[in-house]
Amino acid sequence: MPGTIRSVSLVWVVLLVCLSSRRTSVGAAPICTNGQVGCHVLSLDNLFDRVIQHSARMHGISSDLHSEFEQYFLPSKNQIGRVGRICHTSTIITPNGKENAQRMAREQLTEVILKLLIAWRDPLWHFHQSISHHHDFNNFSSNKALEMNAMVHELRQGVEKVAEKMQVLGIISNSVTSLASPDVLLPSDSADWRLMKDYDLLYCFRRDSNKVQNFLKILKCRIVPDHGC
Amino acid sequence: MRRDLRGALLLLLTAAVQSSSMSAPGKPVLLSCRSPEKETFTCWWEPGSDGGLPTTHHLYYERERLEGTYECPDYLSAGRNSCFFDKNHTSIWVDYYLTVTASNALGNATSDPFKMDVMEIVKPDAPGNVTLRVEEREASPCLHVRWMPPSNTDTKSGWVTIKYELRVKKDNSNNWKEYTSGTQTHFSLYSVSPGGVYTVQVRCLLDHGSWSEWSNTTFVKISNYLQNERPLSMLISILSAILFIMAGLILIAKRKSVKQWVLPPVPGPKIRGINSQLLQSGGSDDVGNVLIIKQSFPPIYFVWQDQMEDYLIVTENEDWLSSNSQKSLIPACFHFNSEIHSKESPCHQNDWEKDEEISQVDNNNKPFTNTGYVDFQRHVENVDVKHVDYSRVKEVKRDNILFLEKEKVQSSGYIHFQRQEGIPEDYSGVKEVESDHLVVLQKQNAADLSCKDEGNHYTECALHKPRKPHVCTELSDSGYVDTIPAPPLM
Repeated sequence: MPGTIRSVSLVWVVLLVCLSSRRTSVGAAPICTNGQVGCHVLSLDNLFDRVIQHSARMHGISSDLHSEFEQYFLPSKNQIGRVGRICHTSTIITPNGKENAQRMAREQLTEVILKLLIAWRDPLWHFHQSISHHHDFNNFSSNKALEMNAMVHELRQGVEKVAEKMQVLGIISNSVTSLASPDVLLPSDSADWRLMKDYDLLYCFRRDSNKVQNFLKILKCRIVPDHGC
Repeated sequence: MRRDLRGALLLLLTAAVQSSSMSAPGKPVLLSCRSPEKETFTCWWEPGSDGGLPTTHHLYYERERLEGTYECPDYLSAGRNSCFFDKNHTSIWVDYYLTVTASNALGNATSDPFKMDVMEIVKPDAPGNVTLRVEEREASPCLHVRWMPPSNTDTKSGWVTIKYELRVKKDNSNNWKEYTSGTQTHFSLYSVSPGGVYTVQVRCLLDHGSWSEWSNTTFVKISNYLQNERPLSMLISILSAILFIMAGLILIAKRKSVKQWVLPPVPGPKIRGINSQLLQSGGSDDVGNVLIIKQSFPPIYFVWQDQMEDYLIVTENEDWLSSNSQKSLIPACFHFNSEIHSKESPCHQNDWEKDEEISQVDNNNKPFTNTGYVDFQRHVENVDVKHVDYSRVKEVKRDNILFLEKEKVQSSGYIHFQRQEGIPEDYSGVKEVESDHLVVLQKQNAADLSCKDEGNHYTECALHKPRKPHVCTELSDSGYVDTIPAPPLM
């Protein structure tokens, strides 16, 4: 008798285990690791299109916010110091023209993009905080700032995915992944940006988002030139 | 003294005159800068007054992340009072601080600084080579517009993204209709109608910059030949509509016949020998007798004859009836439909044909009326309508004397003849009529003794004339004198 009970319970346990494992395998979407079979993999140009669209939208929001700021504060163009503001991302060497950008290596370009995005993570968060507490701004501006902050985060993840994919495909070398490690010293760690005024912050971010968008487009047309270049 | 004074005055005057027309130049103003492709840019200024002396203008700039002040590299390429920065001198995403200085012999004047970033001053040239092509389709023409991006832009490398817009207007109106084309360099317009002149213009946008100017206008005239076909097709459609209407009217006018033709009336079930109208209107006796009569007669006797009525004399005597194979009981009216088209005249027609072969009525049939008279009128042409008067026989003496009652029995004018050929001498001849109630009949053959039956119904057969067959006269209650040939007994 005890033997039969034991065997029956064993059978039940085995059945339960099998069912639960089947359910998990069917229900949950598999996370795509490199080259895993059975999960929907996006093509590289598709990934590029998505991140470019994302960056375009991010730049649009930053332009809107900047023009709103100009209405409120209207800093006269003449009053700004000759040498101008210094954005905290000035230390990041970026190509300042088409030829320079085309001449830059893919890995370098990807790195530049990622550095820029990482550099803006904290400042935008704080910018949003200061805006929401400011009485002069309505909810619309505050929402835009929040959205901008979120988009930087998402865009960075997207570009990291693109870099991953390119590494998998052998288009670029593996040096880019070093950015993921927290050991790298980035401008966002320095406190320079805290000294910047909100308006300058917006101005710098508007410019940097334009850079990101442009570099991504150049990268895409260099790597996957046939799709809409 | 006076001469010196005059000379000094003159000198002073000339000096004064000369100094009023000359001065340091006025302050120039930087108007705008523009980059058509995000790789080079040009700036324009407006000079102030020149102070009467030849003045020169110089543009100086400082740049973010670049030490020093530099002068404009190219004053000529972009025309007067302009400065052109070529690719080597253009940097994107950096601030430029520009100033223009006007200088002449008497002084300088510097404009206000003008800050700009190339990213912000992008305004492309208008698209070029706008071509229009008309496609003539059956329903309506359509207009295909094609153009080229401005020649100096580089879209292949992804450096810039161009978006287009076009606008169309018809003939000379001022209403432009605008369409967005995205990044395509072609567009199709479907809302064009023939017989108009269409004007199309295209403009473009680089990244987040400003819209370009509208391109040169391009005209196209869509030919009108399609409209010439329209009156013909309209005529055809109107004619066919008229035909349809006429056909419809005709159909409506003749709807009854059409309905009969399309939906012929289905013959309902009809039992031969039954008039549905009679069934509806007649008494229950009639109905029963209709059905009863129907049983006995085979259908072959029921031939529809138009307007035939036969008279058949019917008595109430059952025995007479049974021995009489020639008489038959017929109800008052029969109406037989042997055809689909029924004539609605219940009692006019007679489907009976007077025939000797009419079979005998069963014994259990009773006359249904007390008049004992069933008439079928046969309207044969040579009909003698005899007006007959009847007298009742009171007494019969011996065999040839009839005493009649004084009163006459009236009868209406029936046609009253019996076709009983081959039955000679049904009648006894009247020998003598005395007064008005005594009739003496001729004596019959004495040999005819077989007829005697001394009931009420028979008279003695007197056989006076052996040549004559035996004839029995009968008397019925109705008072008719009638003889019926008895079966020959001799």
